[in-house]
Amino acid sequence: MMDPLASPPAGPDYRTQSPAVRERFDRLKAREVILETRELGKTFIAAQGEVVALRGVNLRVHRREFLCVIGPSGCGKSTLIRMLAGLETHTAGDVLLDGKPVNGPGRDRGMVFQGYTLFPWLTVKRNVMFGPETTLGRSAAERLAGTWLDLIGMGKFANAYPHQLSGGMKQRVAIARALINQPRILLMDEPFGALDAQTRAKMQMHLLDIWKNVDITVIFITHDLDEAIFLADRVLVLKAHPGEVQELIEVPVPRPRSPDQLTSPEFLAVRRRLDSLIHQPTAEDGEDDAIKPQLIRLTNVADNVE
Amino acid sequence: MYAISRWFGVRAPLSARERLVLGIGAFALPLLFWSLVSYVPFLWHPMVRISEPGGVDYFQPDMLVEAGVFAAETGNMRQQNLALPAGVPANPVYLPAPHEVLRAFYTAFTTRPPQRDAPWLHESLLHSIRIIFWGFVISSLIGVPLGVLCGTYNVIGRLNEPFIEFFRYLPAPAFGALAVAILGIYDGPKIAIIVIGTLFQQVLIIANTTRKLDFALLEAAMTLGTSRLRLLTRVVIPGTLPDLYRDQRILLGWAWTYLIVAELIGTSSGITWFITQQARYQHFDNVYAAILMIGFIGLGTDLILARLARVFFPWDRPGR
Repeated sequence: MMDPLASPPAGPDYRTQSPAVRERFDRLKAREVILETRELGKTFIAAQGEVVALRGVNLRVHRREFLCVIGPSGCGKSTLIRMLAGLETHTAGDVLLDGKPVNGPGRDRGMVFQGYTLFPWLTVKRNVMFGPETTLGRSAAERLAGTWLDLIGMGKFANAYPHQLSGGMKQRVAIARALINQPRILLMDEPFGALDAQTRAKMQMHLLDIWKNVDITVIFITHDLDEAIFLADRVLVLKAHPGEVQELIEVPVPRPRSPDQLTSPEFLAVRRRLDSLIHQPTAEDGEDDAIKPQLIRLTNVADNVE
Repeated sequence: MYAISRWFGVRAPLSARERLVLGIGAFALPLLFWSLVSYVPFLWHPMVRISEPGGVDYFQPDMLVEAGVFAAETGNMRQQNLALPAGVPANPVYLPAPHEVLRAFYTAFTTRPPQRDAPWLHESLLHSIRIIFWGFVISSLIGVPLGVLCGTYNVIGRLNEPFIEFFRYLPAPAFGALAVAILGIYDGPKIAIIVIGTLFQQVLIIANTTRKLDFALLEAAMTLGTSRLRLLTRVVIPGTLPDLYRDQRILLGWAWTYLIVAELIGTSSGITWFITQQARYQHFDNVYAAILMIGFIGLGTDLILARLARVFFPWDRPGR
């Protein structure tokens, strides 16, 4: 494998944008800000004293933007999205949704989790109805859920229970269950992390389809660099120890996206940049590097596999 | 050889047929053992049932004497040139043969009780079932809601569980005399003993089961706009219900184990009264039949409840 730091980047710089892409970004930034964080931070009290999980996060997410968050393990990307959802308290700064501070979870911020969180005792349709059932009443919620199930192609599974569904289907339903509430923003915490590569690629296209057709802003956490570039308008790169924003990258890959773009020059340029940011030597890597295997030949010298 | 090595595959799955055969075997093996001990004379049979007293003045027909005594007396008679006693090997009176117990299953129900106002066996059994029922219902009415609250809200849990943890070590029968003093000598104290024996375990077990609910489900519900108070009714209770039901089945079994002690408190009653009466007259076939009846009622109830669970909770993953 090539070391991205050692070799000079071939091809275009990741900051170079075609006129069409630049125009898209101008339009994007002209749209109103849905979610804003100001000097957002989180400090845990642990046995060995205070641990800074995240600090000084300043972020403005515009309406119908698709923002991906990546970073090495321990960079606090999960903490960030959980604070935005209100599932965890922040110890510094503010989270503003439409300019109003966020305190605790609410239906204005939908969330899709990495683990499967469909309610196992409810059918697919009742799961999707869960949010609107209390606000709209049973029958209106049922009609709305039917529409959403057709939209995500799960209409014929309306009466199935979650344990009868595949992982990909479960996450489709989880997305519909969050979107039916018409949240201002959809927070996704590594939603495809547990899926196999093929299903994952299908779900990415599916998610982009939904995003294109529904007025929704997305913040998407992933540890898969290709997934981040493929989906995002902008990629927020975090670094660990302490968790901080390292760079906010505007992805120059034009839309609509398709799997062919995975090898396009713009895509590769961003990929190289992310590689160099994410795989910088850190304290944690140092620990791993201390493990030096000392392999000696344990087979017959003539018994070669390469 | 292949078949036997397969038996010891760790957690190797069993076919439906194998499960059935082994399940029958679970009951057939103890029964076979009991039959061997009962019907094969040289296996145990430490006693001799006298058929002819011969010259021994204290021997009676149908009397059970130890084999050693019988041999000694036979030797004595031979020395004194008197008629020799005769008898067949037999087991002690406290181990009746399977067919005798089986017969007792029927005759115990058809035999008039010795005193005219004493209850029939089926009345005794029903009385026992009533005690268990009320004891378990009262315990559950308090224990299940309290357990769910303890498992959901840490404040309530911490306020109750340390004391309950202490109280559950106090043996329920120790409260017998107290229960009689407060509740009289009839059914009240018996039900109280079952409640005391069940309730404290129940709160702790239900609380633990409630805590096992995946917290992510609660978080998901919160992000869908569920208020904190409604989480209890919309997520905690429906999400833990099949597991609570399973706990209740186990706890019902525990309630049965307190029955005999409970029924000895105050005036002896129910199946316990029947068992002690029959044991007093050495009708051990009836004693075994009564003990087995408790087992059959318990196992039968549990099987029915397990079947009902599949109807109540179609979404609960099979094989859990």
